[in-house]
Amino acid sequence: MIRFGLRLAVAGGREALTRLIVIAAAVAIGSGLLLTTLAGVNAVNAQLTRYASMYPQASAGNADPLWWSTRFDYFHGKQIIRIDVAATGPDAPTPIGIPRTPGAGEYYASPALRDLLAAHPADQLGDRYPGRDLGTVGPAALTSPDTLLVIAGGAPDQVAKLPAAKQVASVGDTPALPETTVNLILGVIAGGLLFPVLIFIGTATRLSAARREQRFAAMRLAGATPRQISTVAAVEATAAAVAGTAVGFGLFYAFRDPLADIPFTGMPFFPSDMSLGLLDVLLVALGVPAGAAVAAQVSLHRVRISPLGVTRRVTPRAPRPYRLIPALLGVAVLVFAIGFKPETSDGQAAVFLPGLLLIMAGLVLAGPWLTMVGARVLARYANRPATLIAARRLADNPKAGFRAISGIMLALFVTSVAVGVITTIIANRGPAPVGSTEAGQVSLYLPEDAPAAPDTLFTGLRSISGVRSATAVRENPDRMNASEPGLIACTEIPRAYGRCAEGAAVAEVATGLIPFRESASSARVWPAASVPLGDLQQLPVMSIVVDTDGSAAAIERSRTVLEAAFPTFWVGPNVPGDFESDFADTLRGWEQLANVVIIASLALGGCSLAVSVIGGLTERRRPFSLLRLSGAPVRVLRRVVALESAVPMLAVAAVAIGMGLLAAHLFLRAQMHYTLVAPEPRFYVIVVVGLATCLGVIASTMPLLERITGPETARSE
Amino acid sequence: MGPSGSGKSTLLHCLAGILVPDSGEILFDGARVDAMAETERSSLRRDRFGFVFQFGQLVPELTAVENVALPLLLSGVRRTRALSKAGAWFERLGLDGLEQRRSGELSGGQAQRVALARGLVAEPQVLFADEPTGALDSLTGEQVMDLLVSAAREQGTTVILVTHEPRIAAYADREVMVRDGRVNAPDRIAS
Amino acid sequence: MSVPLTLLGLLEREPSHGYDLKRDYDAFFGRGKPLPFGQVYSTLSRLARDGKVVISDVAPGSGPDRKRYIITDVGATEVEQWLTQPVEPEPHLQTVLFAKVVLALMLDRPAGEYLDTQRSAHLRRMRELTEVKRAGSLVDALLADHGLYHLEADLRWIEMTGARLDALRKEVRP
Ligand SMILES: Nc1ncnc2c1ncn2[C@@H]1O[C@H](COP(=O)(O)OP(=O)(O)OP(=O)(O)O)[C@@H](O)[C@H]1O
Ligand SMILES: [Mg+2]
Repeated sequence: MIRFGLRLAVAGGREALTRLIVIAAAVAIGSGLLLTTLAGVNAVNAQLTRYASMYPQASAGNADPLWWSTRFDYFHGKQIIRIDVAATGPDAPTPIGIPRTPGAGEYYASPALRDLLAAHPADQLGDRYPGRDLGTVGPAALTSPDTLLVIAGGAPDQVAKLPAAKQVASVGDTPALPETTVNLILGVIAGGLLFPVLIFIGTATRLSAARREQRFAAMRLAGATPRQISTVAAVEATAAAVAGTAVGFGLFYAFRDPLADIPFTGMPFFPSDMSLGLLDVLLVALGVPAGAAVAAQVSLHRVRISPLGVTRRVTPRAPRPYRLIPALLGVAVLVFAIGFKPETSDGQAAVFLPGLLLIMAGLVLAGPWLTMVGARVLARYANRPATLIAARRLADNPKAGFRAISGIMLALFVTSVAVGVITTIIANRGPAPVGSTEAGQVSLYLPEDAPAAPDTLFTGLRSISGVRSATAVRENPDRMNASEPGLIACTEIPRAYGRCAEGAAVAEVATGLIPFRESASSARVWPAASVPLGDLQQLPVMSIVVDTDGSAAAIERSRTVLEAAFPTFWVGPNVPGDFESDFADTLRGWEQLANVVIIASLALGGCSLAVSVIGGLTERRRPFSLLRLSGAPVRVLRRVVALESAVPMLAVAAVAIGMGLLAAHLFLRAQMHYTLVAPEPRFYVIVVVGLATCLGVIASTMPLLERITGPETARSE
Repeated sequence: MGPSGSGKSTLLHCLAGILVPDSGEILFDGARVDAMAETERSSLRRDRFGFVFQFGQLVPELTAVENVALPLLLSGVRRTRALSKAGAWFERLGLDGLEQRRSGELSGGQAQRVALARGLVAEPQVLFADEPTGALDSLTGEQVMDLLVSAAREQGTTVILVTHEPRIAAYADREVMVRDGRVNAPDRIAS
Repeated sequence: MSVPLTLLGLLEREPSHGYDLKRDYDAFFGRGKPLPFGQVYSTLSRLARDGKVVISDVAPGSGPDRKRYIITDVGATEVEQWLTQPVEPEPHLQTVLFAKVVLALMLDRPAGEYLDTQRSAHLRRMRELTEVKRAGSLVDALLADHGLYHLEADLRWIEMTGARLDALRKEVRP
């Protein structure tokens, strides 16, 4: 029977072969995407693991410990990770990615950082790492080929004094991010991309199902047993799926390098990180064909019951309103979370994850019911025949109508949650706009035990071309009553940052001369301080604020000078926005990922829709072609197709985005007391581009519509 | 009339402006149908002609009465008016109570009568029917023909009907034989 | 049409006078060829002689219509047999149509044309019958149908013969 099925599939004439090839091609695209997704998850996981291993936990062991301190530095707005290490003995572990632990005055740099070092004058960057360049940090320590990382050696007693210095007895075995975070990321990716891919593969294997059902029904009438039909169908579907999956693997490996180059997470992957585990390979290589076989079984359900199964069409049972419950429950959970916020982040995840998952599952479950209700309303008031036909079809079988777009729904929901949250966070803590005073300000918050700042430092800073002022802010001893933590002599306040209150000699100022979450202003009046001017010099310097013209050279030179003066800094001297933009960059990386998911899922959804449109057309080719013969313009049929596919898709997109933003808002209110900020126009542009792609795919079926409902069809049957 | 493959359907399609003959003229109301543009022929078919085919012409999503109302809806009649006009045909064709059925829930004869109503509802000048009784048993076929003839007479619709059953042909006022793509009576066929 | 058996059958409904029998016969089976009274009575007396009917009561007065006839068991059995047994299928090969076609071919005349003429005639007759059927009662319609189906059978035969005239010509003109 299996041989017979194979022969039917391969040698069953041109139509059978074409169908086989089309299904195989669709499965190839689908499984290629599936592999890319899985490999992408692996790559993200590898990235996160390496990121985490830059921050090892203190550990003790038999070996000599290694002193370790991870700090941030900046160059041209990009983050440099600086790791200082010092071996306390010959048995101390060697950091991953380098051949030996650098000694004092030696360093290793990542390839990307080496490029920067070579391309810029030493007084802007190179002077920050005095000593011997030992070589390159290998990829094993890097999150991305673009990572800027320096591993500098030091004397143990120096490194021990660095901020957050810790002793580690072993390196590289740090567990990656907390389980829940990884799960959340996986959930986003799975919901956003895997689901549409699976739907697409499923739809592809059902391609021209109607035609096939007819054939199988005929075989049943000729005496084939249901078992035999099942076998033949499964063999056929599996053969196509196996071929498609094989091609999918080929596609994946062919496109892996260019794909790795796309900064999905804000930074490119190492192509070798985009790898597949044995489990992934098995999952796809066995799962897709097996899934195809199962899908074929399910779709044959009608034929297997009776040979007449296909000729007699029964309207499936209408979905019931109880399908709304999970989605509403999900919203309720999120609303409830506003009033009740668990302390631990795991506890928060325990509330939000089920809430979000409930909404996601609820949307998929509620979709058919909503489709049906919408279609019924449309059918009741439809005046045009096209609207009536389309609405009736959707109302009759809302599940089939919704199936192809459920992927779009999930993807748009997940991404609008992500984009809503990200935009709001960025808007509340974004980087300074270019050209403002802040954009030219380099400030360094001095560590506790920093050496006193010599006057030569300030003269040196002021002599850098492009530097307008270099100011020290001293620590305010009056911590209880002060409105600001810093003190400064009125005469020293640079014009751009405001002036003193009338008659004061010393003013209370913010650390960076800019109050928290505000911007610099020359009109700002700083309050008078109780400390007399004479005592000021005795107070320790808290921060140094350098105001430049904003040019990169001036900023980087000042930064290099400051770092040399205070080598124990924790966070490198930064421009407002350096720090935030680093955080925002990570978020933007996720936003980027969200955009990729939107476009990919919409394009995929379009393909699924196109397949179901074609199925719907083939089913009705005779009545449609006869309608055309009777003079109905092809425009009417086009409208039927458009209404059956595009309208539910657009409606679903609107609902998904609405629900997503609502969920994001509830999340933000509960977690951060932020109010949702509307996503940037870019988000809408991307959604519109995605929807347009999808509509384009649907529109590409129109020529087929004209062809299969042409007069020849009616005449030849 | 004529044997299978002789060109009956082809001739009918030419007359209805669905196909354009390689040679020869088709006149309707003094106008050359074969010389018209496709859009013109489409609107001619929609507004002046009606059609009944052998089977499978009902749109499965629509109820019987909506199927009948379809030509009216297509030419822009409001839904309520179209439906009430279509509903009137059900009693006439003995289809009372079947208005809300879908095509899958109708027997062949019922579906064919619904199709007949659809062909006639817009009061076409010419009704083209290609073996409308081909899929029916003789009794049902004759019922359909009876209804067709009386409705067409009442409405003043010319019926051009293809069949290879003499008993069906006997309902016509005149017959035309087609053999090997040729018409036996060489005079003009359609008015 | 077998008159004795038809009359017997009518009697099986209920005992009747000869006049009633003639009236019913004409209405259902006469079709423009009424049964003469003489034949009714001669048939009835023959049936009485053979023991298939009996005369029940004779009303006072004169004339033949005083008698009421009742069917006997013998008569009823005969009707029963007639109704249940199929009519002997007759080979119609030697019909006039066939003879004409064969003769036309033998004499090298246009047999096809003859068939076309015959088809038109048949169709014309069928059209008349269809009109009768559409206008008349159910009885008329059923009788018209009978004619129509026979004509249709002939027409089919005409079609087949028309399609095989060449072969037939070879057969009859070796
Ligand atoms: N006059 C003609 N010139 C050229 N080709 C013709 C002509 N008439 C018919 N044909 C061709 O003959 C084929 C059969 O014609 P058609 O479908 O009209 O037959 P039909 O009489 O309707 O048969 P059926 O009774 O089986 O429906 C078609 O492919 C058609 O293109
Ligand atoms: Mg035909």
